Amino acid sequence: MSEFIARCLEAAMIFTFAGLGELISQRSGVLNVGVEGVMLFGATLGFIVAKTTGNYLFGFLAGIAIGGLLGLLHGFFSITLGADQVVVGMGVWILGFGLTTYIGSPYTGPLGMARIPTIFGLSPFLYVGIALVVVAWFMLSKTSLGLRIRSVGENPSVAEVSGIDVAKTRYLCVTIGGMLGGLAGAIYSLFYNPVWNYNFIMGWGFIALALVFFSMWNPLILLGGSLLFGTMWQLSLNPQLVLPGVLSRYIWRMVPFAITIGVLLIISTKWFRSRWGAAKPEALARPYAKE
Amino acid sequence: MRSGGYTLKLEKRLRISGWEAALIPILAILFALALFSSVFILAGINPLMAYQQIFAYAFANPNGLPLTIYRFIFLLLCTCAFIIPFRAGLWNIGMTGQLYAGALGAFAIPLAFGAKESSVSHLAPEILIPLMLIAAAVGGGAMGAIAGFLKGKLDVNEIVVTMMLNSIGFWLVSFMIKEGGPLMSPGGEGQGFKLPPSLYAPQIVNVPFTILFALGIAALLYWMFAKSSIGYQIRAHGSSPAAARYAGISTVKIPLLVFIMGGAVAGLAGYHYFATVPGLYRISSDYGYFGDLAFYGIICGLISLGDALAAIPVALLFGGLSVGGRYIQGKLHMGFGVDYALLGVLMITLVAFQFFYRYKIVWVKTEEEKFDVRVHRQVP
Repeated sequence: MSEFIARCLEAAMIFTFAGLGELISQRSGVLNVGVEGVMLFGATLGFIVAKTTGNYLFGFLAGIAIGGLLGLLHGFFSITLGADQVVVGMGVWILGFGLTTYIGSPYTGPLGMARIPTIFGLSPFLYVGIALVVVAWFMLSKTSLGLRIRSVGENPSVAEVSGIDVAKTRYLCVTIGGMLGGLAGAIYSLFYNPVWNYNFIMGWGFIALALVFFSMWNPLILLGGSLLFGTMWQLSLNPQLVLPGVLSRYIWRMVPFAITIGVLLIISTKWFRSRWGAAKPEALARPYAKE
Repeated sequence: MRSGGYTLKLEKRLRISGWEAALIPILAILFALALFSSVFILAGINPLMAYQQIFAYAFANPNGLPLTIYRFIFLLLCTCAFIIPFRAGLWNIGMTGQLYAGALGAFAIPLAFGAKESSVSHLAPEILIPLMLIAAAVGGGAMGAIAGFLKGKLDVNEIVVTMMLNSIGFWLVSFMIKEGGPLMSPGGEGQGFKLPPSLYAPQIVNVPFTILFALGIAALLYWMFAKSSIGYQIRAHGSSPAAARYAGISTVKIPLLVFIMGGAVAGLAGYHYFATVPGLYRISSDYGYFGDLAFYGIICGLISLGDALAAIPVALLFGGLSVGGRYIQGKLHMGFGVDYALLGVLMITLVAFQFFYRYKIVWVKTEEEKFDVRVHRQVP
């Protein structure tokens, strides 16, 4: 049982990292629907680098680096060129899906390295993740940098007038967002499930996106949502823990995806929507051009 | 950038002419193919030779050409499935799940008539094949309806929903064809049962009859968006849902309608691939590969700017590229997924080229600008 809980927390942290990156990016007004692609890149490159160098640290750094680069790319298209952010996100996702399928295929199979040691029996990323969530919450709600990010996401023209460099702030946020997405992918492929197979993230990036909407852009709620989803994911893999022998294992695999849709339904209720509307960054997904 | 008396400037387009709008995607495809050369160069392969072989196999080889045509039909249906919601301003990335549902629906018909047990049964193809087509459209349409209903009624993000439905559809197929599922082949584990020969789809000169559906649907969509009232309503919803609502167009019905239509077309793509392609005639164990190919429909739809007729040549080109890519991958011992890598490069290039729909690069004579300033000063 304790092993099961540990696995739940491991899965939860992947949602947390990916979601936190997306949350910071959205707070500055940039929507990245391509988290899935960023995660695939981080996971694949992290896996390849770790496998060839035999060093986990290099693997994680590679994952963070490629994530940051994709964040910059997304930023270039959506901030500098002012393109439709949904189109750009779709582009990043399909680029990630397509290229990693090809790049990673020679490395198909297990990583074959000693597992990353746990701390007090729990994933080391749990401690990092919780610390990051708290730091991000503090940064966003209590510091001047956070105020800058939020004002850029709410009303960029007013922010610009009050002396904030909108483009620079948004670039910072999408790059951090990408780095966290890449790291989330690397945690998946180097720690959670160290076996490479094509398109193996299978929708986790999109679930993280749904979690950000659910969190009302609050890192602490995001952490809660991630823990819930991590647990649910593990339950769907081990249905015998709750209902032994009921339904095929394939039916259980559908459950987390169905519940994601359910979560989106909850968000759309009237009670939620009035609060959601207030919390939503006003300029989300709207390109900003300095006049 | 300056040279002589001229400066290179970006200028915002006020409107775009028809030939410019057509030129941009063509340039994007050429640019992407040039960019993709680096993949061949990195693999130690001469890119010109690689492209020559891709096109020769896809369009001039007696083994390759039929594969290209099968894939063309599939991609054209997937593209239409993407285009219909796209014209309403909605993103259908759930063609994968919808085509799975369509394939399951299609195969449920022969199952219901006992085709799984006896392969030599006396089934009337003239009744069962139309029934399979209808069931495929209903299956795909039902899958699409979920996303459309949630979008229209509750404004739930359709991108996330359709993606979740892809995963749900994937596991649903696994459930149906593996570990004793209802559609499992009696002989082999992990794949669907084979259609009895009497239900093999009719061929028109070695081409499955589904090509008529694909071309017909594309033509019908073109007409619908150009002439019909419902096409107008869909386009109005696409340019501004709020304005459409003021004009009396239901913002609940339109999303539901476009997703049912898109899903039904994607369902036909599922029927096409698993029930009409010679040599297959079953939901194969690698169905996930075909499902993911449906993402090509997104690119074809974006490149053809939501124009169903323009999608025909685009789907043919990409059908050929993906078949040829798969071929040289084996022949030149490249890694798995050359066709998917090309998909990725095409997509991101296309995103970059979107910029040119709104801006153009012009050479401006610097002297003229100075002259303009003088003129303005004289006015008051």
